[in-house]
Amino acid sequence: MVADTHGAHRSKFLRDVIADTPDGEKIVHCLQCGSCGGSCPNGAEMDYTPRAIFAMIAADRREDVLTSNTMWQCVSCYFCTSRCPQDIPITEIMYSLKRMAIREGKARKSDAPALAKTFTDLVEKYGRSFEFGIASRYLLFNRPMSMLKSSGMGMSMFAKGRLALTPTRIKNVKQLQAIINKARELSQHD
Amino acid sequence: MAEKVGVYVCHCGSNIAGKVDVEDVAKWAGENVKDVAVSRDYKFMCSSLGQKLVEDDIKEHGLTRVVVAACSPHLHEKTFRRACSNAGLNPYLMEMTNIREHCSWVHKDRAAATEKARALVSASIERVKFQEPLEPMFVDVNRATLVIGGGIAGLQATLELADAGYPVYLVERQPSIGGHMAQFDKTFPTLDCSACILTPKMSEVGQHENVTLLTYAELEEVSGSVGSFKVKIRQKARHVVFDDCTGCGICVEKCPRKVLDTEFEAGMGNRKAIYMPFPQAVPRVPVIDTESCIWFERQKCRACEKLCPTNAIDFDQQDELIDIEVGNIIMATGWEPFDTRKIPQYGYGRLANVYTSLEFERLCNAAGPTNGKIVLRDGKTEPKSVAIVHCVGSRDERHNPYCSGVCCMAALKLGHLVVEKTDAEVYSFYIDMRTNQKNYEEFYQRLLGEGMRFVRGKVAEVTDAARKPSEQGKLIVQCEDTLVGRQQRYPVDMVILMGAIEPQRDAREMGLKCGISCSMDGWYTERHPKLDPVATMTDGIFVAGTCQGPKDIPASVAQGAAAAARVSGMITKGKVMIEPIVAKIDEEGCSGCRICNNMCPYNAIEYDAEAQVSRVITALCKGCGTCVSACPAGVISGAHFSDRQIFAQIQGALWDAWQPQDAASQDAETVPVSAP
Repeated sequence: MVADTHGAHRSKFLRDVIADTPDGEKIVHCLQCGSCGGSCPNGAEMDYTPRAIFAMIAADRREDVLTSNTMWQCVSCYFCTSRCPQDIPITEIMYSLKRMAIREGKARKSDAPALAKTFTDLVEKYGRSFEFGIASRYLLFNRPMSMLKSSGMGMSMFAKGRLALTPTRIKNVKQLQAIINKARELSQHD
Repeated sequence: MAEKVGVYVCHCGSNIAGKVDVEDVAKWAGENVKDVAVSRDYKFMCSSLGQKLVEDDIKEHGLTRVVVAACSPHLHEKTFRRACSNAGLNPYLMEMTNIREHCSWVHKDRAAATEKARALVSASIERVKFQEPLEPMFVDVNRATLVIGGGIAGLQATLELADAGYPVYLVERQPSIGGHMAQFDKTFPTLDCSACILTPKMSEVGQHENVTLLTYAELEEVSGSVGSFKVKIRQKARHVVFDDCTGCGICVEKCPRKVLDTEFEAGMGNRKAIYMPFPQAVPRVPVIDTESCIWFERQKCRACEKLCPTNAIDFDQQDELIDIEVGNIIMATGWEPFDTRKIPQYGYGRLANVYTSLEFERLCNAAGPTNGKIVLRDGKTEPKSVAIVHCVGSRDERHNPYCSGVCCMAALKLGHLVVEKTDAEVYSFYIDMRTNQKNYEEFYQRLLGEGMRFVRGKVAEVTDAARKPSEQGKLIVQCEDTLVGRQQRYPVDMVILMGAIEPQRDAREMGLKCGISCSMDGWYTERHPKLDPVATMTDGIFVAGTCQGPKDIPASVAQGAAAAARVSGMITKGKVMIEPIVAKIDEEGCSGCRICNNMCPYNAIEYDAEAQVSRVITALCKGCGTCVSACPAGVISGAHFSDRQIFAQIQGALWDAWQPQDAASQDAETVPVSAP
């Protein structure tokens, strides 16, 4: 397969997606076969299937892609990635599109970015996920009215010992934070 | 006396000149390398004008050595050797330096590539000074040819040669010739019956006076070289005496053991333990499958033996090794189908009504297990809807990256047969429709007109998990209709998987026996992908049909005929030139230790017990050099690859690291040579 030719691609958007995604240069090998769109459990809910998104990326339709709901419907099941005949890291590309949409303020009216942000903030702080914190903070800021509805489930999870009320911190969380900060610094680009 | 070396650096259009400063290399060599009398660059050295340049220089300047820096010697060594011969210079005093494949094509940095080209040219100049004039040898070409594989490509090659009056040995692994084509119902795009056009060729081969047919036999060993190969064939025990059998078929009829026929019937029908693969089999001599025969299992039965009118059954028959001698070999070993179980989401083997294309070929074949009736696995229900899935194991980095080439047309053919024989609706799920041969696109148009439905999308999965009442009891084909851009589910009764065409599992091993190589995918490598598609890098070995790459019947037939034409040419010529690049033993120094005798991979060294020395049989020697390095006395030398030549080449390559004080000792006699 031809690699490292992405600098020559006409679509700026394509170049950006490739630069933002590990193994991203494989996207140029998309055959438009639709294995991804056909396999996706949420495919029917998407504005555009992943296959269509790849065609739009190549056509430089940045606005249409970043304002679509496609990547926000992705549940990271990796079905598409495991079946793609061209070995394209489709799920990773969905992550790239989410990041780009947030960064460029194009993320559509959805709580998904907020949930993602809450999750990563807490992981960064404690070094591991803290379900009670995620649920309460996310619901409080985004849909306070549904807090009551979810409390029943929270109570029964707590009763079964599946929900801790206080976060646990990993050892040397400072090291993890240093790694994240370094990664953040490295990923700063134009 | 110092040699006069001519150096010729080729631009190859922009192929070399685009990355290497060829003018600089030529100028540099002319000014800086010792003994260079002429140094030129030229747009296309291989053109007649380029060759003339070399010839004229040899005559005018009295050149004694020539270095051509251009492409791979595989392509043009012959060209420039001929040019040297024309001008009266021994062709083995010419050395080719590959500055294209080994330099310009693989480097990006122009300055570095130019630097490397200088080193390569310098290496060749130093080497060529020590090359010696050699005289080519000629051997007679044996008029007999071995064809391996009795599918359509092998049959065509066999008939072409046999009809031309040359003897042919045809070796086939299965009990009958015919290959995969014998299994098919119809052939695209004309829809003529496969058996009707194949079986006449089969019987012609079976009866031909010039053909020795060896079925149920395999290639065991090949030795020798072009013109005079020695081949060992293993004739597997049929347990039926070939010459006594009349092919009456009573043994088959009376055999009490029925087994699933996973070969000819692709698992769709049964055969007996003693069987002929199909009624039109050639030869009409059955074989006993010892794995299912009751006698071989528990020493009972012998029904066939009792009832055979000519006493042709022989339970004690053993495999037999047959030695033959031939001048050329044509490999036509064919293909095998992709194992569709490797893609579990398509459900083959788990969902009953998912079929492979070969299974379906047998299902709709009038001579098949259902007499051509298209029914589901229950044996009676006619499907109301059929899905044909393309690219199963093809165009897929997880399985085979290549396009199998024939499946689109085969899918259209199967679609047509369903439309013709049933009222079912037919869907074809494709990525790209490839119908690029004569009358193929017209066939696609015909199917569009016949109402076959085409959905552009690779099938994601085939499932029996219904989501709504209309899907109950159906197989649901889920995919993205990429032209609509939506995920769709198609409930159908039957699914046909168009599996990839794969190389034979033992293709690599068979290739090794004959000394030919396979591509990464496992297809035999032809000498040149465009200009020499049936020859191989090994003289006297040719390839035809699908063993060289996926192809359809017309292309296989064309290749079979082409390979036969090449062999015919060799036989007509009568003699073949062998490179004089062979090993030579200095008998004075040989102690007769015989170490080299066993090391030689070509059995080309014999021991003379009387003189107590070893001798190289030059006709068999390939010049590999194994004996040269093995000889403890260092008295074997390899022509054209002497130690002195190789060391000079290394020194030349390291010209820029060469210290002035060493330069003084660069004299021919003091080159560090290991042998005395």
